[in-house]
Amino acid sequence: MASRLLTRSTAAVLLSHLRSRAPNPTHHILPHGTAMSSLLGPTHGLPATARSCPLREPARWFSSPAPVVEAPRTADGMTVDAIADKGWTILAEAESDWRSHAAAVAQSIKLIKKRLKWKWLLERSKQLAVVLERPDLWEDPVFAGKVSREQGELMGKIKSVNQFEQELMEHIDMLRLAREEGDNELETESMRALADMRRNAKEKELNALLSGDNDSYPCFIEVQAGAGGIESMDWAAMVMNMYRSWAQRRGYAVTVVEEMPGEVAGIKRATIKVDGDYAFGYAKSEIGVHRLVRISPFDSGKRRHTSFAAVAVIPILGDASSRYQINDSDLRIERFRSGGPGGQHANTTESAVRIVHIPTGTTATCQNERSQHMNKASAMAVLQSRLDQLEITRQAQMNAEHTQSLSEISWGNQIRSYVLHPYRMVKDLRTNYEVSDPDSVLEGDLDDFIFNFLSSSLDKDDGNV
Amino acid sequence: MNEFSLLLKPSPSAHRRLSPAHAPSSSSLQPCNGCNRSSAIFLLSPSSSLSLEAEAKSEEAMLLSRSTRPILSPFLRKPKPSRLPKPFSSASASASALTPPTPRSPATTAHVPEDPTPLFLRPPTHPVPAPSLAAFRRRAAALVPPNAPHLHRHLRWLLADASSSTANPDPAVHLLRAPLDELEALWLRHVRDRRPFQYVVGNEHWRDLVVAVRDGVLIPRPETEAVVDMVGSVEGFGDGWWADLGTGSGAIAVAVARMLGPRGRVFATDVSEVAVEVARLNVERYGMQDKVEIRHGSWFEPLEDVKGKLMGVISNPPYIPTDDLPGLQPEVGWHEPKLALDGGKDGLDHLLHLCEGLSSALKPGGFFVFETNGDKQSEFLADFISTKWSSSFCNVEAVLDFADIKRFVRGYRR
Repeated sequence: MASRLLTRSTAAVLLSHLRSRAPNPTHHILPHGTAMSSLLGPTHGLPATARSCPLREPARWFSSPAPVVEAPRTADGMTVDAIADKGWTILAEAESDWRSHAAAVAQSIKLIKKRLKWKWLLERSKQLAVVLERPDLWEDPVFAGKVSREQGELMGKIKSVNQFEQELMEHIDMLRLAREEGDNELETESMRALADMRRNAKEKELNALLSGDNDSYPCFIEVQAGAGGIESMDWAAMVMNMYRSWAQRRGYAVTVVEEMPGEVAGIKRATIKVDGDYAFGYAKSEIGVHRLVRISPFDSGKRRHTSFAAVAVIPILGDASSRYQINDSDLRIERFRSGGPGGQHANTTESAVRIVHIPTGTTATCQNERSQHMNKASAMAVLQSRLDQLEITRQAQMNAEHTQSLSEISWGNQIRSYVLHPYRMVKDLRTNYEVSDPDSVLEGDLDDFIFNFLSSSLDKDDGNV
Repeated sequence: MNEFSLLLKPSPSAHRRLSPAHAPSSSSLQPCNGCNRSSAIFLLSPSSSLSLEAEAKSEEAMLLSRSTRPILSPFLRKPKPSRLPKPFSSASASASALTPPTPRSPATTAHVPEDPTPLFLRPPTHPVPAPSLAAFRRRAAALVPPNAPHLHRHLRWLLADASSSTANPDPAVHLLRAPLDELEALWLRHVRDRRPFQYVVGNEHWRDLVVAVRDGVLIPRPETEAVVDMVGSVEGFGDGWWADLGTGSGAIAVAVARMLGPRGRVFATDVSEVAVEVARLNVERYGMQDKVEIRHGSWFEPLEDVKGKLMGVISNPPYIPTDDLPGLQPEVGWHEPKLALDGGKDGLDHLLHLCEGLSSALKPGGFFVFETNGDKQSEFLADFISTKWSSSFCNVEAVLDFADIKRFVRGYRR
């Protein structure tokens, strides 16, 4: 701790001065810290806990091994909730008013906690701690690994929020001290630190939106044209293009896994793989039916058409232990056959492969690669994810929170309307968020829709699950 | 036989647009009886339309995209004499059909200086402005007849293979591995002369490998991928010595070598010097020089020193009966080496030779697998080996390929 303090500026020195005057300011932290660490007991030294949530910054003031459960307080005993409840006016970020900054950060922390389902998080981590203390835990290493990994992740989240709260309290204390002692330099620095926190808090709010189990994984996005022939196949292709450019804007790698073109234009169905951090977390907001209203370029009578495209998003799980176990004997692998005598008689570059999982009827096709071997490998990856998805769905039916596969999406489940005629608008039917520039949305500018949906879906429940 | 079976007919106007120098004219064609005969057989063969139906069925089963399904064109069913490079003439039907010749218009060949380095391995040193490339793409796509949509896929791959793989600093200029006029000539030969796409780009994607190929070397077939899996299922294969006889491009040898342990080796033989050269290139490209030894010579001949020490013998020898050669798909019959296809009268000449050398080459318990012409040949061979050499071999059986044809014969030495 001493060495950490040395790396800080004069502010740190002053703060330690303050702390030495205050009646043991750490008393409410350390006892709980040790309590928590004993609670965690067996997870220490596990690789799983070692890779807990990456913290944006290393622990600043307290290197206590376990996060704090009770809310941090200022020197005069204010908590984050108390600050948020004071109803201090929140002014623009440019205004140098510490109360405004502090109130804004406190509000953010409250929102982050809500999004993370804070109470549930604490409850769950207590439960896991009990499980982890069971002496027979490691008789089932797969289960033990899973539990300790989950605990590690939960602790990481708790710790990072607590640290953020702690930081807020320290800045407030420091600012008050600076005022008391008339130290202008320190006051400016603390003010700046609070303003920084306010900006960071916004970022953390967004990050907290993506705290679902599978949010951090890459995903497949599937688009299927609804009834209505060429016009809806063209719409499906437009939707697919929208996701491709959206993914590229976000810096994700996009590969086409399967594409079934329409006879005249567009696609009947297509699957792309979107690779990158939190691809599923964002893209899952897009699951459902997308509706287009426009004058169809394929209608010589220039009439207005309404068409639909269904979108499904499937996470690609990285964690082998939670994956669906596929039996080779349950698979039927169909490949392109040249139809003739084959072998040396034929030369074809057609190498599509389709795999059927017989017990569930799930299928996957790949025609993107140039060899059958590679197409089979890709199709297997798709099949694996579809089966994982089925498994997640089965497990999540208890939680009522589940993502749907393409076949399950009912055409009545419209999530967004794109109107190009007679007026121009894109409106999300779930959040009522709308923009009047459909072109930019169709070019992949989807983030606002996504954030709106994520925040509305997470913020409407009270976080006390 | 598949979608390639459709005779391509680039429109004469398209030819003019592409390059007047390449436009075929009947006067520039060498009189070539065998060529006439082979296209005659190809067009009239009832099996070609039958196999198309079979393909359409299998495709339906696979729910594949419609665009990959060739439409039976009336042109195919009723071939008309045309001014195109493959004139139809039944008068020459009596000519020897043993050798499917390679019809090439001298105009085209003269324009393509043969660079033995496969296109995809050449350095990307030819700057081409984006508009020129786009214009080429349009011209090339215009040559694709509606009944051969797979050629659009080939065009996409050709441009992918011809482009530099590294990020392009200047989006207005593309760096290509060949000048644009050479690409035009390559594309024209692919569409018009039915030169296999794999020879055009110089590679075939096979298993997880990109195998370099060029004229004179058999293009590895997807069916053959299974041979490698069979080797992988042999107990203790990783430390054994293996022989790949008639290795061609070396695809099998490289794929097997990549699975082997530190003590495993592959001896790959081929009688063709081009094959030896290409196989060596592929072995080097995958860094398998320490595992694969390429030897020049026919079948077992170069392997005297390892006789009786081999854990396995693999081969995809020529097995097509000589009489079937003229009826082959043009990509195969006109362009691939007869040496790698022609299996003699019943297609069994080389397979039987391999069987005879087997028992002295393999060590006890050793494994062998041969690719064959299909059901009858596999059944005959399996029966022949287990009857004639019942004391030497066991568990001899015919194995199905992915199209449910008995494509392979495998077994163990006692």
